[in-house]
Amino acid sequence: MPRIFFATDLHGSEVCWKKFLNAARFYGADVLICGGDMTGKAIVPLVSENGHYSYVLGGEALTVAADQVGEVEGHIRRRGYYPLQMTAERLHELDADPTKRAECFQEVMLDGVDRWMKMAADRLRGAGVRVFVSPGNDDEMEVDEVIRRAELVELGEGRVVEIDGFAMISTGWSNPTPWKTHREESEAKLAERIDSMASQVPDQGKAIFNLHCPPYQSGLDEAPAIDADLRLLHGGRALRPVGSTAVRQAIEKHQPLISLHGHIHESKGAVKIGKTLAINPGSAYEEGMLMGAIIQLDPKKGIKSYQLVNG
Amino acid sequence: MAQATMGGSATGARPTLFLRNATGLVKAWSTFDAFVYSFWSVNLITLGLYGMSFLYSVPDGQALVSILLFGVLTTFLVVTYAMLVSVMPRTGGDYAWQSRILGGAAGFVLSITGWWFTLFLWAPIYANILVVQFFSPLAYTLGSSSVANFFTSQNGIFVACLIVLAFVSVVVTLGMETYARIQKVCFWIGLGGLAVMILILAFASQSDFQNAFNREAASLFGASGNAYQATIDAAKTGGYGGSDFSTISFGPILLILPFLAFYLLWPNWGATLYGEVRGAKDIRKPFWSMFWGLWVTVALVAVVVLLMVKTFGWNFYQAANAAYWNNFYAVSGAKAPPVGIWPYPVMFAGWLVDNHLFQAVLIIVMALWFFGWAGTLFLSSTRVIFAAAFDRVLPSWAANISAKRRVPYGSLVLMIVPSIVVSAIYAYKPSFTSVFLDATAVLALTFLATTVAAIVLPWVRKDLYNASPIASYKIAGIPAISIVGGVTAIFLIFMLYEWFFNASNLYGTSFQSTVSSVVYFAITYVVAIAIYVIAFVVRRNQGIDLNRIHHEIPVE
Repeated sequence: MPRIFFATDLHGSEVCWKKFLNAARFYGADVLICGGDMTGKAIVPLVSENGHYSYVLGGEALTVAADQVGEVEGHIRRRGYYPLQMTAERLHELDADPTKRAECFQEVMLDGVDRWMKMAADRLRGAGVRVFVSPGNDDEMEVDEVIRRAELVELGEGRVVEIDGFAMISTGWSNPTPWKTHREESEAKLAERIDSMASQVPDQGKAIFNLHCPPYQSGLDEAPAIDADLRLLHGGRALRPVGSTAVRQAIEKHQPLISLHGHIHESKGAVKIGKTLAINPGSAYEEGMLMGAIIQLDPKKGIKSYQLVNG
Repeated sequence: MAQATMGGSATGARPTLFLRNATGLVKAWSTFDAFVYSFWSVNLITLGLYGMSFLYSVPDGQALVSILLFGVLTTFLVVTYAMLVSVMPRTGGDYAWQSRILGGAAGFVLSITGWWFTLFLWAPIYANILVVQFFSPLAYTLGSSSVANFFTSQNGIFVACLIVLAFVSVVVTLGMETYARIQKVCFWIGLGGLAVMILILAFASQSDFQNAFNREAASLFGASGNAYQATIDAAKTGGYGGSDFSTISFGPILLILPFLAFYLLWPNWGATLYGEVRGAKDIRKPFWSMFWGLWVTVALVAVVVLLMVKTFGWNFYQAANAAYWNNFYAVSGAKAPPVGIWPYPVMFAGWLVDNHLFQAVLIIVMALWFFGWAGTLFLSSTRVIFAAAFDRVLPSWAANISAKRRVPYGSLVLMIVPSIVVSAIYAYKPSFTSVFLDATAVLALTFLATTVAAIVLPWVRKDLYNASPIASYKIAGIPAISIVGGVTAIFLIFMLYEWFFNASNLYGTSFQSTVSSVVYFAITYVVAIAIYVIAFVVRRNQGIDLNRIHHEIPVE
């Protein structure tokens, strides 16, 4: 009886990744699934000057001695940002040149993912735990290769994988967003992508759809309304459904046992769409809190139990 | 892939952060938009004027000083909540904070009693406000006293409750985006109406008002003679001894605070919603929106009170309230006042213009203060119910949303059905009135529990606290959230003590005098505990440990 722990949208938070790996023992899970968007959104420059390092975090400008940099880097990683030591010259070079900045970002992100993969191997080697990661729309395409090379972590994207008699399909692609991220496509193409995997699943009653984007108008996809300038409307109180119609149609058509989603951090919840239990555990990566779902599967009952947790 | 720099060359400053394009990186919400929501929550006209009509019970209390003191003390509440929002901007607000800090059981019982069970009581209170500020004065002004009388009957009160519940259900169904637009229209037109009222009061003298009062008392209510003086005399028959605005006495000033809580304690009403807002971690946004919501209202209340003192005469205004409520509660010896409806200052101001059409329009325009505000009655409740359902404490159907219209029908049923029952009790069982007077106190108790959670946060959830933007805020080495929360707690405990134990039952809620309210609230807490215990046992049998929800996974 596989016991799954699902979490998503860690966005570079190293604390959350460590908790994710430890969730196997903590919750007695034998399958860990990371639903995507694992890479961070920002680099915090630590500028080296006169033997000290200056940086700004949370709007506060700080300077620390060289021997305190390690501690500061840990604190920044906890918040889901990438700390990067650099000189003032390098800082201005990156500021002035978007191409160099993009290259720098990619290098830092891939280093981070690689470190996480090694961490997984160190912590879970011999534990009998399967770990799946499926990069999300915020993760650059090059992330896949780093995961593919990992010793213990399995790449979920675009595959049908078997988990103790259950079949899981995964994709981190989403419908278009205002941010024009790395893995976005039209609803029609997304439907094709999901269908090509779903059609390979022999028994939908034992299918797990690990689709980063939540189904449209499911209550798992409510995001604050924004204007064309990405400014939150009505004090952030107005919500709009932003999920994917392709994902919803796939769930309605195939009626898998369970569908796992993320993407919309604020829209934590668990709802029934026909026979399918759809879950978005939400994300609070910035606080270092790992929001997740524990799902106990049963060969006869399908889902024996599920629980959303804040670990 | 386009990327951005913060504090970079565009501004001429050294870059502090390199951002890449990623989902959810939005620009901050407008503090003004959030202010509007907070401003509505401490509604000057609906809750404010209604709450102030009870101040006659403390005739030596200086209303203006009390209002300013309340503003100062509630600012500590605002800071406490803003800090919590920045640490844990979770959907569910009080429920989420209490359960994550104090534990799931305590969080559920303390918050669900306030944000769920107590809000049943607010539906009839809202309905009563709708009657006394809209239906009754409008009906009298338009010469239809039968309609006004209907709404003061038991059936009329119940119908008003149903109207409020129907309106709230429609708003929840429409969604916050639509209602936020309606709110903005109501906000500006309502402000316009208030400005007109202020101008009328500012340019009229007390003798103008006395003449206008006597004229309309005769025209609309059939009163004869000096109705102004007769109102003061009627108040005396119920034991009212007069009130002097210039008297300042510390004790009575404090005794007024629990009355003011009826409307000024809610600038944090939207805190249950901030979890859905990116950028809430920036403490300044929630703080300033709540702060200005509170203090703009305090300032407007001060202006309105001073104008009422100047134009109505403070003693008259207090007497009118005393006469109305003494007659309403059938106080021994109380005589009915010549103007037999609730002393609505807006209506009184309108009477200064000798034109019934103008008076009716002013009442209608000022009713937008009700309709722009009342729709959010259950909005926070539905969020708390959702949060409890996701934690599997409530059944999952409680968080169900209809596929087509996105109506949260599960939580609506849980709010509306009991509200209808409670409304019927309110309308047809007047002996239960004291229960409704406790509606403010139980919410204050919920706030107190959240405040306690805030005080202990730096020690109980070190991880969350240290990772938050407020970790560096300290006073003499003590976390600022604990100090600010401590002041808030003292303030709330003082009011709770007065509500529950005031020796002369000043607020109509003292335990020794109102057995029915003690029983009602004991039952709500017992029911909340029972729900949690049943959920715990049922879920354990399903292999779900509710204790596990908030246990932190070790990092190393």
